[in-house]
Amino acid sequence: MSRPPRAELGPAWIAGIAIAAVIASAVAADVRLSSLLDPASHDAVRGFVRGLFPPDVSRSFVRVVALAAMRTIAIAVTGTALSIVVALPLGILATATLFRRGPLVESEPRTPGGVVLAWLSVLARGVLGFLRAVPDLAWALFFVVGVGLGPVPGVLALAVSYGGVLGRVCADLFEDVDVRPLEALRATGATRAQIFLFGIWPQAVPSMVAYTLYSFECCVRAAAVLGLVGAGGIGYEIALSMRLFEYGQIVTLTGALLLLVWLTEAGSAALRRLLRANAPPGMLAHRRLRQGTPGRGARNLALGIAAAVVVACAVATGFFDGDVFDASTGSRMAHFAGALVPPELAPAYLQTLAWPVAQTVGISVIGTLLGVVIGVLLGIPATAPHPEDDRSWGTAGLVRAALRRLCRLALSLLRAIPEVLWVLVFILAVGLGPFAGTLALGVHTGGVMGKLYADTFEEVSPLPLRGLRATGATGLQILLWGTWPEARRMLVSYTVLRWEMNLRASTVVGLAGGGGIGIELYNQMQLGFYPRVATLLLVVYVLVTATGWIGDRIRRRFTAKALDAGRAIAGEPMIG
Amino acid sequence: MIYRLEAVAKVYPSRGGDVTALGAVSFEVASGERVAVIGPSGAGKTTLFRLLNGTLRPSRGTLRFHDRDVAALSPRQARAMRRRIGTIHQQGLLVPSLSVLENTLCGALGSWSLLRAVRTAISPGRADLERAMAALAQVGLSDKRDARADELSGGQQQRVAIARLVMQDPEVILADEPFAALDPALTASIAALLGGLADAGRTLVCTLHDVALALRLFPRIIALRGGRVAFDLPSDAVSKGALDELYRGAPAAPLDLLPASPSPSPHEPTAAC
Repeated sequence: MSRPPRAELGPAWIAGIAIAAVIASAVAADVRLSSLLDPASHDAVRGFVRGLFPPDVSRSFVRVVALAAMRTIAIAVTGTALSIVVALPLGILATATLFRRGPLVESEPRTPGGVVLAWLSVLARGVLGFLRAVPDLAWALFFVVGVGLGPVPGVLALAVSYGGVLGRVCADLFEDVDVRPLEALRATGATRAQIFLFGIWPQAVPSMVAYTLYSFECCVRAAAVLGLVGAGGIGYEIALSMRLFEYGQIVTLTGALLLLVWLTEAGSAALRRLLRANAPPGMLAHRRLRQGTPGRGARNLALGIAAAVVVACAVATGFFDGDVFDASTGSRMAHFAGALVPPELAPAYLQTLAWPVAQTVGISVIGTLLGVVIGVLLGIPATAPHPEDDRSWGTAGLVRAALRRLCRLALSLLRAIPEVLWVLVFILAVGLGPFAGTLALGVHTGGVMGKLYADTFEEVSPLPLRGLRATGATGLQILLWGTWPEARRMLVSYTVLRWEMNLRASTVVGLAGGGGIGIELYNQMQLGFYPRVATLLLVVYVLVTATGWIGDRIRRRFTAKALDAGRAIAGEPMIG
Repeated sequence: MIYRLEAVAKVYPSRGGDVTALGAVSFEVASGERVAVIGPSGAGKTTLFRLLNGTLRPSRGTLRFHDRDVAALSPRQARAMRRRIGTIHQQGLLVPSLSVLENTLCGALGSWSLLRAVRTAISPGRADLERAMAALAQVGLSDKRDARADELSGGQQQRVAIARLVMQDPEVILADEPFAALDPALTASIAALLGGLADAGRTLVCTLHDVALALRLFPRIIALRGGRVAFDLPSDAVSKGALDELYRGAPAAPLDLLPASPSPSPHEPTAAC
């Protein structure tokens, strides 16, 4: 089997394509820098900022905020717990190395049962992709039809869309475990299920715990947004205060949201330390903790507490209330789903979608680029040197440490406020439309990327950097010649991954007035043109899948060596 | 006869054209025999090995285990065959995040139902626990039962792999370069452990690159070169000339680019012996 080597595009071509893509995106996203300089918009922003003070800390309002915060947490916890229920069976079935390829499959004879499983496995991967591709707000609107307004549709939306994300992560983790111990288990006569239980699961579970906790952190932010479907919570209150021009309340609410996110992060870090759960390098939420088997006692305690918290939160969201799920829930949702088919595919309608689609893609590209710029500007100064190499002391050291804290603080502020809420702020500045969406996406992405960049830089092994410092290199030179080459692979991977997520986010941003296909989705939903809603969901699915494909290509170009090594160990037979 | 190989060949499809790892190898191994397989790297030792333990199927020719053609076995029968064959690899190939005890228990997976495996994963039964502890005592690692496999040194990992073998209780032991990663003292102790297991009437087939060790420990030597049997002789009949011929200008391995051992990750704690 020999294939002619495929011609690779040269660097000049790639640079050209990239520049053209960025310019086209900027046009589509309606980037008007002049609107940022417009005195009228300055006045609007000044009015907004002035209105923020003094913050509203009256007793009655603080009570509202506390209740909203608790509701947000309860939705996030229940949604995360249910998302695991969705993710595990689909993730296991979608694992290619168990059912489709690799040494565990290829050296067995093909049986009809095996072929059926292989097809089911492909199907499971497709289902996971679909669950991920539909924005969580759209899922929430769908569940509102079934169970009515309130926290429960929010919980179900989180369960389904984060179930899709977690399921994919599970499948990837299961596929990435070292296959050689699995081969050794197979040589003892173990069945595939036993190999999974004793070989794959124990290798993957620490990363899965780490990623689930990270996903929970995301769920807290998402839960804040789902207030738009009547789920209540902090996001809903912010949107309400925005509409009532009660800017003083926004400071209090944002503060509460920040506190909530910080508490979540601290809690999840503590839990990870208790469980010794590390994500592997190259994964989001990767933070290496001390190795070791968690004691049985610590593990059982953590599991027990988690179960109790989940049940309490499920009760608090009204999940078990008698009147939420009734006999007609299923039929209402089936009726709604039935109204979606067939999707409207008339050419005249599809033509009207071309421009919103271009806008959505443009928003995601420019938003991500803006995020990268903000992330680099804030992420580099936010990076702490390795503790053993921290040689700055005296005034300079204090200034540097203060700057570091300040950057970290700014990053978490940008990150804690979801895109949808940033849109509301930027609409004040530049008016309704894609540019507001782009800025919102960029600012939030900047917060995410800055933290990831800083964390990744801190993960780089200090030894080569020490070597460079010994040659007399300056800080910037060390960054360019030591840190960047070491971290490049992960940084590119994160950034591309984030772009894929941002494409989905840019439809959601649209829902809040940020332009693009999201506004169209919102309008058609309100008007009850369900076949068009179906078309739009399909378009989103295709867009997300296409971005995933392009993202894979970009990642592969940057990580070709790593992938080849991985494939050599995992897939190709060893000879010798 | 435990093994009967008739013109067994293994060809790997590859992008640059097919790679023949083994071409027409024939020999027999009788019950209770001790055989060393030697040859330069790239000679096909590892491929032969994976054919013998039933994790690869021949591309051509027939491989019989207890007079049954391996290619005709159903997946269930193939598993039953693997259960009777114990394998030791160059590195222990333990599941890194499981404890020593759990890795030892894995040896019995082939004789367990899924239900029993699930039960054992949660909390092992008393009888299995006692067997596993006895196996660990035999290799002198009783005190390490709760350590993670990746915290152990290479020699200790190899001993856990042998404890797993004891747990499996196979009739054939296949060892692929079991001493490659060990220093001389450890080699002697692992060789003694393997010899003890073989003394109980088990068949032992071992690939080795250390010819002197092979000649000293094994009564029969099969030499592979370029995927074919170069000679198959009692060890006292192996001449220096034959060995020189075997290793002279050994062709570079077609895919000998893989590292012999995974490079240590900077994050992993390096275990000292």
